[in-house]
Amino acid sequence: MKSFDMPVGPLHVSLEEPMYFRIHVEGEQVAGIEITAGHVHRGIEYLTAKRNIYQNLALIERVCSLCSNSHPQAYCMGLEKIAGIEVPERAQYLRVIADEIKRAASNMFNVAILAHIVGFESLFMHVMEAREIMQDTKETVFGNRMDLAANVIGGVKFDIDEAGAAYVIGQLNRLEPILVKEIIPLYETNASILSRTRGVGVINREQCIDYGLMGPVARGSGYAYDVRTAAPYAVYDRLDVEVITYPDGDVWSRAMVRLREVVEAIRLMRLCLRELPEGPLTAGPLPFIPAGEAITKVEAPRGELIYYLKTDGTDIPARVKWRVPTYMNWDALEVMMVGDRISDIPLIVNSIDPCISCTER
Amino acid sequence: MAFLKILLDNLRKGPATEAFPFGEATTPDAYRGKVTFDETSCVGCNMCEHVCAGGAIRFSEKEDGLHFLIWHNTCISCGLCAHYCPTKAIKLSNNWHLSHLQEEKYEQVDHAVVPYRECTSCGKRLQPGGPMLHQLAFKGANPRSERLMNMCPDCRRKVSYIGEAV
Ligand code: SF4
Ligand code: SF4
Repeated sequence: MKSFDMPVGPLHVSLEEPMYFRIHVEGEQVAGIEITAGHVHRGIEYLTAKRNIYQNLALIERVCSLCSNSHPQAYCMGLEKIAGIEVPERAQYLRVIADEIKRAASNMFNVAILAHIVGFESLFMHVMEAREIMQDTKETVFGNRMDLAANVIGGVKFDIDEAGAAYVIGQLNRLEPILVKEIIPLYETNASILSRTRGVGVINREQCIDYGLMGPVARGSGYAYDVRTAAPYAVYDRLDVEVITYPDGDVWSRAMVRLREVVEAIRLMRLCLRELPEGPLTAGPLPFIPAGEAITKVEAPRGELIYYLKTDGTDIPARVKWRVPTYMNWDALEVMMVGDRISDIPLIVNSIDPCISCTER
Repeated sequence: MAFLKILLDNLRKGPATEAFPFGEATTPDAYRGKVTFDETSCVGCNMCEHVCAGGAIRFSEKEDGLHFLIWHNTCISCGLCAHYCPTKAIKLSNNWHLSHLQEEKYEQVDHAVVPYRECTSCGKRLQPGGPMLHQLAFKGANPRSERLMNMCPDCRRKVSYIGEAV
């Protein structure tokens, strides 16, 4: 059998983000991979120490487009922890809604791309069109399709009144049947999807723990870790979040976890809209942030996102550092890819739903 | 195949996209578009400039008043200025028609002057402070408070303590 090294990337491996692999190939099979990172390093962590706490809200939201709500959320939670700010209940519920709407749209995007890589373009279009319901909802409620700008220090800066709640519920009622009756059954039974994704890119539960994997990737291997239940923030402790797991750890299982999580996100949004208490949206006008340190974590669509914050009493943070789930998930590609065919590389890369722009910031 | 039915349904439904520019594109009320500024309610607190991540807002003090400048090209529509503005003098409109030629990019600027006021009693130059601020601070107005509003802090104190004889 002939063996050789093959470069993959840095452009458009599966998504429009730069990833660069040196793949060691034996015949048709991947025998080993080497990852070269750092193509989109922009120095954003450094920039956060050059901006004040308010400007950072907008900067941090733009680290990544798909987890764009999770970053400011974790950041605000950190500042609130340092300053001992009590976030009003209504704002906590609204934060969950913002979180879940982003999760729904992000997961559907990834699953749509899976269909695109398989070559099933009409399914790709169908999922993207269904996702558009969430995009429209975001634009109507928050004013933008991607960057919600939902969080401020001490609360939120959007509100959902009765008419708004009725609109969101109407949108959820449109999306849910498409998802449950059309999209999920298709991913469960369609022969082209199954033949390309079942048994491909396998990683087991023990390897997930070894590699510190997070989010849908770990849950697709049966490892039921979810920050929303392990260390609940906002009001997740009252919502009885269902942690979705699949046992097999292949590309298909990870996609199914994501799809089922959209269904769960719809349930959580409905619940929050129903329980939404009256009250203020923020805790007081301008916060004073004393010197201090805090670590917070949230469940971003890709898994656990950890923020470390250090302040020195001024309104410019001394240090902001984050750890994103893709960092570990990316490393685990060496387990997932070895033994699989070259043609499956894009599918496997997509199955970890990589976010390079957060990882390399 | 199950997908055939979906294909047929989608075919029947027609295009999912909006007909823009040949038809209207829907714009929700909450849409964060081009920033607008109302110099009559600005109180010159500079908070919007302070929170602006894009560095799109500049204030400068000149003889005739406080000069406000926004360069729309570097605004990222985050809405922080509007959120933190105490009098809502700065807002985000629904206007998303921001495309322009490359050579016009440095002209995408709005400029306004927030005039200084003069103390009605001694004539000293005062920071701007419109009726919006007054409304915010006192939750209402009466003729006396309106008169005091246009005085410098010193004259206001005199009126309050010594009476109307100033
Ligand atoms: S919307 Fe954001 S970027 Fe634009 S002017 Fe306001 S604060 Fe600056
Ligand atoms: S626009 Fe608003 S925030 Fe900006 S200086 Fe005027 S009053 Fe202050």
